Amino acid sequence: MNHEQAERLLSARIDGERLSTRASASLEQHLETCAECRAFERGAYRLREAARFEVAPAVPDLVDQVMTAVGAEGERPRSRLRVVRPAGSPRRSILPRLAPVAAALVVGALIGSLVVGGPWQRPETGSALAATEVTEGISAAAVRLDAYQATFAIDERNLSPEVPDRHLTMRVSFESPERFRLDVVDRTVYPMAATPTNLRLVVDGSTWYAAGPAPCPTATCPQRESVVRNRLPFSTAAPIPTDLVLPISTLADADRLTVLGRGTVLGRPAVRVEVPFERAEPLFPFLSIGGDWRPFFPNDRVRIWLDERNWFPLRWDVYPATGGERDAWALRFGLPDEPSLRSLFSVRALHVSLDTPEAGAFDIPPTNSSQDQGARVVELGHVRREIGFEPLAPSTVGGLDRYRVVLPLDDAGGTLVAYADGLAFLNLGETRSWNGDAPFGPVSVQAEEISLSGGGVAYYEPASRDHGRRVAIHAAGTDLYLESNLPRSELLAAAAALPVQGLPMPDAWTHRRVGAATAERVSLETARASVPFPVEVPTALPAGFGLASVELVDAGFGAGVTLYLRDEDADAGIGTIRLHLEAASALPPATSAAQSTVGVDGVQGRFTPDRSQLEWIDGGLYRSLDAPGLALQELLAIATSIGGDETDR
Amino acid sequence: MNDPDPRTLTRAREGDLGAFEDLVRQYQADVWRFAYHFTRDRSLADDVTQEAFLRAFRFLRGFRGDSKFTSWLFRIARNCAMDQIKARNVYVERVTPIAGSSTDPQTRVELHAALDAVSAEHREPFMLVEVFGLSYQEAADVLGVRVGTIKSRMHRARRAMMDALAVEEEAR
Repeated sequence: MNHEQAERLLSARIDGERLSTRASASLEQHLETCAECRAFERGAYRLREAARFEVAPAVPDLVDQVMTAVGAEGERPRSRLRVVRPAGSPRRSILPRLAPVAAALVVGALIGSLVVGGPWQRPETGSALAATEVTEGISAAAVRLDAYQATFAIDERNLSPEVPDRHLTMRVSFESPERFRLDVVDRTVYPMAATPTNLRLVVDGSTWYAAGPAPCPTATCPQRESVVRNRLPFSTAAPIPTDLVLPISTLADADRLTVLGRGTVLGRPAVRVEVPFERAEPLFPFLSIGGDWRPFFPNDRVRIWLDERNWFPLRWDVYPATGGERDAWALRFGLPDEPSLRSLFSVRALHVSLDTPEAGAFDIPPTNSSQDQGARVVELGHVRREIGFEPLAPSTVGGLDRYRVVLPLDDAGGTLVAYADGLAFLNLGETRSWNGDAPFGPVSVQAEEISLSGGGVAYYEPASRDHGRRVAIHAAGTDLYLESNLPRSELLAAAAALPVQGLPMPDAWTHRRVGAATAERVSLETARASVPFPVEVPTALPAGFGLASVELVDAGFGAGVTLYLRDEDADAGIGTIRLHLEAASALPPATSAAQSTVGVDGVQGRFTPDRSQLEWIDGGLYRSLDAPGLALQELLAIATSIGGDETDR
Repeated sequence: MNDPDPRTLTRAREGDLGAFEDLVRQYQADVWRFAYHFTRDRSLADDVTQEAFLRAFRFLRGFRGDSKFTSWLFRIARNCAMDQIKARNVYVERVTPIAGSSTDPQTRVELHAALDAVSAEHREPFMLVEVFGLSYQEAADVLGVRVGTIKSRMHRARRAMMDALAVEEEAR
């Protein structure tokens, strides 16, 4: 044992830390022969004596001051309870996840809450402009836009104590339908050696390129490069961050945005709207391309100034959410106090134009490695020769033009026809040999059944974090899906304009096994007729939510019913609300350490925060309510509304 | 340092202001001393103490007992102190003698000289462990580092302070 080791052990022993028998014995042995270490021990006790005597300055009595401040705090409106995502989890990577379109059957995990200003009442704004005018204005502007160029200044606060302010510039170029370029140049003067956050994203139709430093804690971070070739049109796995041009995804749902007022930005009339950060992530695509960035709380407020004439985002700022949970989150990240009225992060347009970007703007830099999404572009006239059928075409596609026909590399042996105009797109996938156990395309068995205007049925799902709005149609001899950023009504009109009659889902899809249980998709009426207890749809739901589908579930203890409730436009954020009912006299055994007891409408229930699940038993009926993006208070509001007047969609 | 009576803590978590006041009474001296050692400024220590209890009141519902209450409270106090220091752009590196201290002046000067000789990184665990009697695990919870880090920083802090005192003695 050397001095260093002996001193370390001594130091720990002085502090009452337990040493192993072996360490203790060898320390004693060392001390016997080492005068220097014995001196260290004496010195350490002397320091202790000095330190413990030292700390006796007169301590003021602050109880009254503290309690006055605390009393004032209690009068402030309490923040509503909501689920906080674990640190580091919410940032989704923009880097491509390669999955054949037909295999992407399961809607991705949906997290976060979209509710602004308390449970589901749209705040009064006093503005003459309605939220629907904003969403409709953006949808209309999307189809008109052929080219765009802009330069932005980005200011970031509190990356770290050493780097309290950063300044970057961002250049964005777009040419319809799928050419895009984003360059971020870091202009920060760092006080220490650091890798600047310089980023590049270039998309030229079927090729997608992204480069930037990997996030890392050291001074020299490795550069990362991702390339996707033979990209599927409007691929959501290798996406184009077009919200920087027009925030179509961010502001897709009028129920989830607040119009704050009007003003002038860059000399143009502008309207200001607010959405929570988790909803506005498409406006911050650079965060996931590379480099280190400050963290954001899901409920931080993003205030966006939109040009009132063409709906371009001119300036957007992130302000911290208020409340104890945001404070606790900030503590975990070691963030300083962030005043709620001071912008944490701002993106400001310096220059916007509609000029076509110069030749070469969308050239993909030379690179060695690449991933292949396997989408082979073909002439429409050659499709029959290639795969034996000619794809169906709608008589109208919301005014979009056919842009590209590809043969995806997957087992479905189908076609994908992309339609586009400006920033709007619609993908139409078709196969004549579908033998999967769920609808063809990224549509789940729980999708809402829609009667199309031309007859027949289709299955609809709202926009999610991973997909646009989509519809699946199962018809005699063919299976189709449509995915689009068009509004719901236009997507359904395009589906109705297909020369097919959609059939209800076959039994092979509606009957499925879930572990040891069986589940069968049925109508609400069938469910009610099949179980001995009342099946009631909650009446208090977030705006835009309604009943999408119903399943009869049997795990061998008698039938239960599961209701799936979804938003009609975009459910990224709240996700699917599920209500399961089953005859039972006691709650199932606890399944999570974090569960707590709560009162639900006068009876005792159980809340599991990590699943946002509320369970309770009332009148011999077990009820389980869960929604990934809802907080306890909101779940309770839904729970207590069950049994009121029914409003089925 | 003892954790509060769980019943007081539970009542305070449920919003009982009387119970919270009991907690303030019980811990204000420790929090103030901790803040003072951090800021070396009496009025800053007052502000930090007040702000720390205010934040503790806000977060109390979220305190799940993963660490000891006192570690949790000190962690908050430490963050408040860092905010204050940053906000006022002051860090009093030189020592101002404390009025009302009962120790003899010689010991005080020695200790301050020694504390000044070590970095904040080493001073913090030293204060938490030596002055406030926290265990290594509790100090690790407060500072958000591993127990092993506390162990080696305690050793280095002691070594550096003793070396500084030896130099002082030689110079005298």
